[in-house]
Amino acid sequence: MFSMFRGLVGGKTLTESDVTPVLDKLKDHLIGKNVASDIAGKLTQSVGDQLKGKVIGTFEGVTSTVRKTLTNSLVKLLTPGRRLDILRDVMEAKNTGRPYTMAFCGVNGVGKSTNLAKITFWLIENNLRVMIAACDTFRAGAVEQLRTHTHHLNALHPPEKHHGNAMVHLFEQGYGKDAAGIARHAIDFARKNNFDVVLIDTAGRMQDNEPLMRALAKLIMVNEPDLTLFVGEALVGNEAVDQLVKFNRALADHSTSAKPQKIDGILLTKFDTIDDKVGAAISMTYITGQPIVFIGTGQTYTDLRRLDAEAVVNALMS
Amino acid sequence: MVLADLGRKITSALKSLNNATIINEEVLNDLLKEIVTALLESDVNIRLVKQLRENVHKTIDFDEMAGGLNKRRMIQTTVFKELVKLVDPGTKPYVPVKGRPNVIMFVGLQGSGKTTTCTKLAYYYMRKGWKTCLVCADTFRAGAFDQVKQNCTKARIPFYGSYTEVDPVVIAMDGVDQFKKEGFEIIIIDTSGRHKQEDSLFEEMLQITNVCKPDNIIFVMDASIGQACESQAKAFKERVDVGSVIVTKLDGHAKGGGALSAVAATRSPIIFIGTGEHIDNLEEFKTKPFISKLLGMGDIEGLIER
Ligand SMILES: Nc1nc2c(ncn2[C@@H]2O[C@H](COP(=O)(O)OP(=O)(O)OP(=O)(O)O)[C@@H](O)[C@H]2O)c(=O)[nH]1
Ligand SMILES: Nc1nc2c(ncn2[C@@H]2O[C@H](COP(=O)(O)OP(=O)(O)OP(=O)(O)O)[C@@H](O)[C@H]2O)c(=O)[nH]1
Ligand SMILES: [Mg+2]
Ligand SMILES: [Mg+2]
Repeated sequence: MFSMFRGLVGGKTLTESDVTPVLDKLKDHLIGKNVASDIAGKLTQSVGDQLKGKVIGTFEGVTSTVRKTLTNSLVKLLTPGRRLDILRDVMEAKNTGRPYTMAFCGVNGVGKSTNLAKITFWLIENNLRVMIAACDTFRAGAVEQLRTHTHHLNALHPPEKHHGNAMVHLFEQGYGKDAAGIARHAIDFARKNNFDVVLIDTAGRMQDNEPLMRALAKLIMVNEPDLTLFVGEALVGNEAVDQLVKFNRALADHSTSAKPQKIDGILLTKFDTIDDKVGAAISMTYITGQPIVFIGTGQTYTDLRRLDAEAVVNALMS
Repeated sequence: MVLADLGRKITSALKSLNNATIINEEVLNDLLKEIVTALLESDVNIRLVKQLRENVHKTIDFDEMAGGLNKRRMIQTTVFKELVKLVDPGTKPYVPVKGRPNVIMFVGLQGSGKTTTCTKLAYYYMRKGWKTCLVCADTFRAGAFDQVKQNCTKARIPFYGSYTEVDPVVIAMDGVDQFKKEGFEIIIIDTSGRHKQEDSLFEEMLQITNVCKPDNIIFVMDASIGQACESQAKAFKERVDVGSVIVTKLDGHAKGGGALSAVAATRSPIIFIGTGEHIDNLEEFKTKPFISKLLGMGDIEGLIER
């Protein structure tokens, strides 16, 4: 009885000419959502490769099959294999008698210092003492920016509430000095004074600026932070790719260490300014394979979130 | 530089038309595909890119055209006109007038480079002999006034700001008043970064313009911005009368195509580009010469009759 119908409802084998028009549309759609064009191309192509020769039911449309496959790959891309647990790692470092260290790097104006302050707030809310190392010794006002945040944060968690200890301390040596050296001193100072975490702010730099990239590589090599975060803004378009490739490459190329440190994670800022154009999240994870550890969603201390992969993919596919 | 790279790709695509023996639909499609790819890789807004492609298709009708040379020229001219539309809003920028106060207000997204560019612009006019100053109307960003203060002190630019007043509208008004009385010619107002999703920030921007009545509002864009630029630029323009655009951070690898949608959305020309973090890293941008330079890159000069 059923075999009679097989020919009718049975499968349809997908060919290239079935999927290509759908994929072309989806590629443009992704680009419109601010996925780097090159990566939109690669993503849709790999969906095409997965689907070629696949048999689908007659009632399953080609378009919906393609969309479903793409959706799945996007969710997978955004879901990190390992989950970074910073608070646990901080405790582990504490148990071995040293502060946990984190460096923030990225191009100019993306939100490194502001989001460093947000992370400080999150850490002190978790009862951890934070040392901020002012290693942007170039940009006017960079040190005062961190000092202002330090004041505000200490006012939110006054020493009286923490056995007389200031929860946040700014380690700074003014302008014009060597950033790597300041970071080293800050870490030493933190160790001696029982700080739990050292957050290293660095100056913004263009990924093609060789002397500045070299200086960053040195800072990372000398101080071996537990976590090197690349701070990128959700507003960025195709440049996301070039920024990450070159920051990673610079850390490797300019290091004399046998096993140079690379970027361990991404902090994606200004997520509140892009509506549904969330493509930068895709471009950045695609390039590094590293997780988006936090997203910045505003200009106050509480505007820090975890990335919700499903929500991002929904926005992308809508 | 901006678009120079893009310009090169496009001119070479256009030149490839000269090598094609027959000009037909297929050749045109290949050419457009190449150009569209180059534009999208440079972050030009996808809607503008699609529009460009459609406009070219609309203008070039193979059935009605005869003669190879004619077709070639038609295609090249049409593509070029469409490209020019991207950079040239067809409006003239505000030109400051000597001997009276010219109030110039900076607006833009967070971190786009406003404060840095304010000092650069003040320095630019100061060196040309104008009586120039800066008002810091950003009371939100931590260290904003220190940034202005340090920049201005180093460059010897008179500045106005406050550590205690929290209302940027009050500071802007007082600063502009004071500098006007003192006979300053170029009065630049730096404001906080803002975005369309937070209405209170846009409202604040409107209030500052209402009290300061700027002669020109400059929208500052980061060259690396992608597809979100258009809706932001449009929203700024809808709220205040943006008259010029400055694209920053063009010393990097970014081609600046995303920032171009600010030109379309605000119908305002680019007047300067930022090419570094130092105070003299500011270059004048003139749309017309830029276009002819772009044209000059190939042998298609003179294609566009003016
Ligand atoms: N809307 C929004 N603005 C943000 C976010 N994160 C940072 N900002 C703003 O972006 C601007 C630049 O932030 P900074 O923290 O100074 O950036 P930076 O990367 O340290 O800049 P440089 O040190 O000059 O390279 C500030 O106005 C911040 O308030 C965010 O998640 N959302
Ligand atoms: N490489 C480079 N960096 C620039 C340029 N213009 C500005 N910057 C850098 O970009 C970062 C942000 O610049 P700001 O002037 O603080 O930006 P802003 O728009 O005033 O930021 P908010 O007031 O927080 O909105 C700083 O690190 C500047 O040094 C440029 O043309 N090239
Ligand atoms: Mg900073
Ligand atoms: Mg500013």
